[in-house]
Amino acid sequence: MSELIRLEGIVKRFDDTMVLNGIDLSVEENQFVTLLGPSGCGKTTTLRIIAGFETPDEGRVFFDGKDITNMPANERPVNTVFQNYALFPHMNVGENIAFSLRVKNKSEDEIRSRVKKALKLVNLKGFENRRIDQLSGGQQQRIAMARAIVNEPRVLLLDEPLGALDLKLRQEMEYELVRLKNELGITFIYITHDQEEALTMSDKVVVMNEGYIQQEGSPQEIYDEPVNAFVADFIGDSNIVPGQMVDERVVKIDGVEYPCIDGTEEGFPPRRRVDVVIRPEDIDIVPYGKGQWNGTIISKLFIGVHYEMLVQSEDGKVEWLLQNYDQHDVGEKIGMKVDPENIQIMHKPKSDAESAIEIDL
Amino acid sequence: MKKAIGRIYILIIMLFLYLPILTLIVLSFNEAKSMSVWTGFSLHWYAELFQSRLMMGAIVNTFSIAILAALIATIVGTMAVLGMSALKPRTENVLLGINNVPMLNADIVTGIALMLFFLMIGAPRGYMTVLFSHTVFCIPYVILSVRPRVNKNTNRLFEAALDLGASERYAFRKIVLPELWPGITSGFLLSFTMSVDDFIITYFTRGAGINTISTLIYSEVKIGIRPSLFALSTIIFVVALLVLIIVNIRQERANKHALA
Repeated sequence: MSELIRLEGIVKRFDDTMVLNGIDLSVEENQFVTLLGPSGCGKTTTLRIIAGFETPDEGRVFFDGKDITNMPANERPVNTVFQNYALFPHMNVGENIAFSLRVKNKSEDEIRSRVKKALKLVNLKGFENRRIDQLSGGQQQRIAMARAIVNEPRVLLLDEPLGALDLKLRQEMEYELVRLKNELGITFIYITHDQEEALTMSDKVVVMNEGYIQQEGSPQEIYDEPVNAFVADFIGDSNIVPGQMVDERVVKIDGVEYPCIDGTEEGFPPRRRVDVVIRPEDIDIVPYGKGQWNGTIISKLFIGVHYEMLVQSEDGKVEWLLQNYDQHDVGEKIGMKVDPENIQIMHKPKSDAESAIEIDL
Repeated sequence: MKKAIGRIYILIIMLFLYLPILTLIVLSFNEAKSMSVWTGFSLHWYAELFQSRLMMGAIVNTFSIAILAALIATIVGTMAVLGMSALKPRTENVLLGINNVPMLNADIVTGIALMLFFLMIGAPRGYMTVLFSHTVFCIPYVILSVRPRVNKNTNRLFEAALDLGASERYAFRKIVLPELWPGITSGFLLSFTMSVDDFIITYFTRGAGINTISTLIYSEVKIGIRPSLFALSTIIFVVALLVLIIVNIRQERANKHALA
């Protein structure tokens, strides 16, 4: 796979606010890349810079090796599915989809057949003459997709396209999007603040915060090996606790020493203070006294598939979040253990700004 | 019982509002010159109206000024709205506030101010000064009716059109303009009626040789009113009524569209 889009050192300020602090990003052809982060993290601005609606203050944008930093939006070979769809209200469905073809002066015959094909792709055959205000939210979403892909862009930008839909429809559309991407064989750059969407659909997830890229990698990498407390916290529920390396591949958390798989080679020499992530589903419950440490269950919630429990550790100060399929009672004393490979050691951020630079280590 | 009282109440209000106008309309078809005795139906006064060069001149002036002033005000006002929407919100709010002042200001102040302005720059008063004045006092109404159509959504649609490859001009013509259109037409029709309706500002800014319907009626009153003026007033009333009905129907449709 070859590189299709590259951002180099993108900096963007709005008035005095720093929105993007030097973004470097590479998107390969046919990739499904998701920019994930809380609102205000700079993900939408990044997308608008790729689409051509904003010009970066510093840095360059490359498309297929060509510098397009100053190319106007209407000349870029990308199309966008907007957050609120931005369908043209005074045009019907067919006219909306045909817009980009009419701009290019295609023949009416070609327009008709391509509109038809686009509608078929989004499973809304025969919707040509419907008015926009007659459509449901999910249908509008599909029309917005059809309008964006009818011109066969090489990259489709999607700005939180599922944000306005209810949960069930959203999950359906997640499958639809992946199917569509595979059928079209084009590159998707997707924006969301929903970690589940990001993990489900993406080839590559880029976690952003405060105008920095915090981490990029496959969904598994992001989930299993978050590089800092922000990423760990943003991707699902986690135990994020302070610790200290006490020996090669041994970390001390809350007064207890645990074997782990990180040492000097990975950048964590003895005596280094670190943050540790342990996913709640990775903590096993064993009989009292038989595990690495003990605690008392202080609360319990049934969450459909599993139970979620808070456990107060016996000697220390940490409350651990556990997920387990077996039922245990509140007040029960239990032992706990965790496998070395499930202890994810992370660098401590020294300050807000540096929290982002840590990734390079 | 309650309902009946309500109906009677409405009826009384309607009578107070429309009985004088109805009297005027009836008298315009009266055969005699009398203002109180009905002697028979006749279109005599309408004939006199259309034969009078003075009156026809006033009618032509009134409507040509109204159409031109409304047209220019609509173009200038719409352009002003587009320009203002690109400003910072605070600056725009200040400008919109300033825009409201002329509408609240008494006509007599506007009229005298304009007259003094024309005297100061030495402009010969006549058709052009009246047209200019009407254009000026119509612009705020256009801005008021077009501004609500320009919002975040309009901007989003514009960007969507650019994203789909349209040039800025094409995107404006095909996407933005249709979005603004209901506001633009209401602004135009509002300006038109305001202009036709105006007496005070016209009175102060017209020259000696030019009359509009309202200034003509005013000068005729001094020498004794003729029923042909009733005929003229009837025509004006009907025209204004039609314009108002059109504006209301349009707004109703726009609202329905927005709700759906």
